[in-house]
Amino acid sequence: MVNETPNGATSDAARWAALIEAVATRRDREAFATLFEHFAPRIKTFMRRSGASEQSADEFAQEALLAVWSKAGLFDPASVGATAWIFTIARNLRIDVLRREKRAGRDYTVEIDPEFHVDEGPLPDAGLAVSQVESRVRNALTHLSEDQQRVIELSFFDEKAHAEIAQTLQIPLGTVKSRLRLAMNRLRGLLGDLS
Amino acid sequence: MTIHHHPPEELLTAFAAGLLDLGQHVAIATHLVGCARCRDAVRAMEHVGGAVLAGLLPTAMSGGALASVEAGLDRLVAATTSPPRRAAGLADVPGLPQFVREYPAGPWRWIAPKVHLRPIQLPEASSTRVFLLKSRSGTKMIEHTHTGFEMSCVLSGSFVHAGGHFGPGDFDLGEGDDDHEIMIDSQDDCICLIAMQGDLKLNGMIGRLLQPLIRM
Repeated sequence: MVNETPNGATSDAARWAALIEAVATRRDREAFATLFEHFAPRIKTFMRRSGASEQSADEFAQEALLAVWSKAGLFDPASVGATAWIFTIARNLRIDVLRREKRAGRDYTVEIDPEFHVDEGPLPDAGLAVSQVESRVRNALTHLSEDQQRVIELSFFDEKAHAEIAQTLQIPLGTVKSRLRLAMNRLRGLLGDLS
Repeated sequence: MTIHHHPPEELLTAFAAGLLDLGQHVAIATHLVGCARCRDAVRAMEHVGGAVLAGLLPTAMSGGALASVEAGLDRLVAATTSPPRRAAGLADVPGLPQFVREYPAGPWRWIAPKVHLRPIQLPEASSTRVFLLKSRSGTKMIEHTHTGFEMSCVLSGSFVHAGGHFGPGDFDLGEGDDDHEIMIDSQDDCICLIAMQGDLKLNGMIGRLLQPLIRM
């Protein structure tokens, strides 16, 4: 489907992007199955760690991949990396799921996507190309210790998940939080001034 | 427009992670409209999110999950760009993100001398209230502290307090014991979008007298 190149990470990013584009332009089911097999089980973990039950997390992961299929035409590789794009689908689905719970029974929906669509104001974006942002993030993450990378994960989950980690590692919640702060500071330092 | 005051990084990260409640989300999104630097920071965090997602240990999907999703694909209609816009309740307010302009908003109402408030109605329950606050030039806001937090995004005009000077695009986070004595120093009205959790505690005699009037 897509040729492998020696640089593993870069080729991964390009490969996912090519698969999403194949879904968008050709409704390519083989490409979709490849995306499903890689991302559905990870989105399921994401939803489990966000508090969903085994069965719900499975259903949400399926729902997220259906969204990948229907939204593939909106994927713009010039403005976002492939894994970041799939992350935003999972993130927005998680918000949607939480809201559905809160308004249980009331039958209406609000599209989440527009809430993250920020029109550029008078100042244009500084204009780092997506590939540059991707490679900077990748480089920054590889400079973190494995522990720190695991702590960075926590920024994408709420307090409940932090408490669970504290329990698993048998360290106080405050320690989890201070480790998270340290790791984030390090990451920001490594990302440098993006503009 | 030069922006000097930005939201703290934790808030930008939580925004990108989708962990803010809607009222706080609206305040950050409003800042992003005018701030390329913070847009870049959010974009970077979304890429970190992508890397985190890709690095999570997989949880096996239920048997037949792919088959049942594939069976549903034909019924799906491909998404197009955006749904048609609804009537915009705040179309006349510059500096707001598009999705906020579509929220219903009440009329301006008087809350204190030279100060008017216009509530914004969020489509989802949120523990954070969002409103526009319009203050006339020279207004000195009553000193107050917060029981929760208050995020202010300047849309037009400017104000000054001990933390600095805040003009269009600037973001101000007030928390807990910050003792705010705010002075509107622009010639024109100063309009801010405010996201507020908890209540204001007004200090001083006049504050205590006004407090019942300013239940926002």
